[in-house]
Amino acid sequence: MQKRKIDPLLLIGLIIIAGSLFLAVFGNSLAPYDPQEPVGDFSMPPSADHWFGTDGSGLDVFSRVLAAPRVDVAIAVTAAIVSAVLGTGIGLYAGYFTGRFSEIVMRISDILQSFPVFILAMVLVTLTGRNVVNLIFVLAFLYTPIFVRLTRSEVLTQRTRTYVEAARATGNSEFQIATRHVLRNSLAPSLVQLSVTVGFGILLTAGLSFVGAGVRPPTPEWGIMIASGAPNIILNEWWTSVFPGIAISITVFGYAAAGNAIERWARK
Amino acid sequence: MRRYVLRRLAVGVLQALGITIAVFFVIRALPADPVSRIVGMNPTPESIAQARRALGLDMSLFQQLLTFLGFHGNGVFTGSLGTSWVSGSTILSEIAITLPTTIQLIVTSFIVALAVAIPIGMATARRPGGKLDKGVFGYGLFAGAQPEFWWGLMFIFVFYFKMGIAPAPLGLLDPELTAPDAVTNFILIDSLIAGDFTAFKSALGHLVLPVLTLSFLLVGPLLKMTQQSMSRVLSSEFILYQQASGLEKKSIGRSTLRAALAPIITLTGILFGFMLSGAVLVESVFSLNGLGQYSVAAVLNLDFPAVQGVILVISVISLFVYLGLDLLLAKIDPRILVK
Repeated sequence: MQKRKIDPLLLIGLIIIAGSLFLAVFGNSLAPYDPQEPVGDFSMPPSADHWFGTDGSGLDVFSRVLAAPRVDVAIAVTAAIVSAVLGTGIGLYAGYFTGRFSEIVMRISDILQSFPVFILAMVLVTLTGRNVVNLIFVLAFLYTPIFVRLTRSEVLTQRTRTYVEAARATGNSEFQIATRHVLRNSLAPSLVQLSVTVGFGILLTAGLSFVGAGVRPPTPEWGIMIASGAPNIILNEWWTSVFPGIAISITVFGYAAAGNAIERWARK
Repeated sequence: MRRYVLRRLAVGVLQALGITIAVFFVIRALPADPVSRIVGMNPTPESIAQARRALGLDMSLFQQLLTFLGFHGNGVFTGSLGTSWVSGSTILSEIAITLPTTIQLIVTSFIVALAVAIPIGMATARRPGGKLDKGVFGYGLFAGAQPEFWWGLMFIFVFYFKMGIAPAPLGLLDPELTAPDAVTNFILIDSLIAGDFTAFKSALGHLVLPVLTLSFLLVGPLLKMTQQSMSRVLSSEFILYQQASGLEKKSIGRSTLRAALAPIITLTGILFGFMLSGAVLVESVFSLNGLGQYSVAAVLNLDFPAVQGVILVISVISLFVYLGLDLLLAKIDPRILVK
């Protein structure tokens, strides 16, 4: 057998994803200081005691960067998984059993997808209450149509294949064919999309709190941190915004890279 | 052709109306109370009832919808989006001021992004696997998903604070200048109409960093699409035939670009529609007071008419953009209309 070379892009992506998940679970315990309690002087530049400095309220930036994945990554991952499961299920049904239900589902997801996403997210989060659970619901709701569409179009091409005929001929029920055979062969696009969606979820979560429509300060959250440092960046107080931004930048790149690598691998 | 346009318009108008009515019901169904914002602390029951009446919230939902649509006086069907619950001015007049700022920002960013992405994409498509090709792949992957508001801040820090070559990131003009008379509300155009070149230069300067931020991200997907589309066309038979016939390089290049343009235009349209509300973060970093920032204020203030108005306007604009692009596509590749 030929020795398989691991795609370096996949490796980078998986390392970053693993790191982000690790911090989402253990970030709080690793943080040297309480991320929500003032620990020293205001607006101190990076030093041996405070690696990333302190922000305008005297909070330790390093501790907050470590603790933030518990909000950002947890929201995005949960929302992405919920929307992937829901969307794949609906897409499988709508694609395999075409009919009126399928039509209605597609029209609804058409309309949902033509909404201005950021404004809709803002409206839904603000009006339901700005907290983590509502953010997860809203993101999951916004991202489900993507998975419906992807799965449905894949199922539409799979259901005419010979293996479906074969499965039918050997006496499988339609439900069994759909859930056992067609589903397994239609998962690749959703898997790619899952990784990409986590990245977008992190960006949306951070963006919403950046404009004041997401989770509330002083929750350790990357978007809030960037926003709190934004007015002072022209006073040379760069560390408050720079470090959480680097964290977002690396994290979303990791999810995008993994998604891209999986896509290339699936195409082989 | 005319029937196609009319049908698309009819479907689109219905869709925009559907979206607006959906938004109308959704914002009223969710548990948020706009009245408490208006009456202030310790309201009396009378003042609450009075405020509800003033906002029209004492009517049934269905009556409120009819009022909004224009069955009782002015409404959507008579070209009015109502008045803001916060400022008291009409929603249309507020959108007329903020929308041009956003359009100006997005259009300039797309011009810059396309001017960068198309030539580089064409060059890399000719030499697949080269250094530039790998660089483009990495950049496209990276810029495809990035926190644009943070990049905006970084550009401010570097180009304004450290290097001092960009103007302060506050608004559309230097603060000491008086704005030219508002004719179109596009500040670049208005300053030209007024013949005020100092204002024009200042407005252009203030546009540099926001445009840099947006196009920095837009170039990623556009570049990737140009490259894919170009290499597909370059390996197609009709280009091979042109090469074999000994046509000039220039004319082969022209027909390649023409054949490769459709997916690039489609992607531009999708990104444009997305940017109408997606530019909000960049607008707020640079305090540009565009439609995005207007919509943030509307949502946070629970200003329901403003929220409905913004969403309706954005839906209608995206509708016209998609239609316009489809017509452009049909012009480039008439086969589309046959399908």
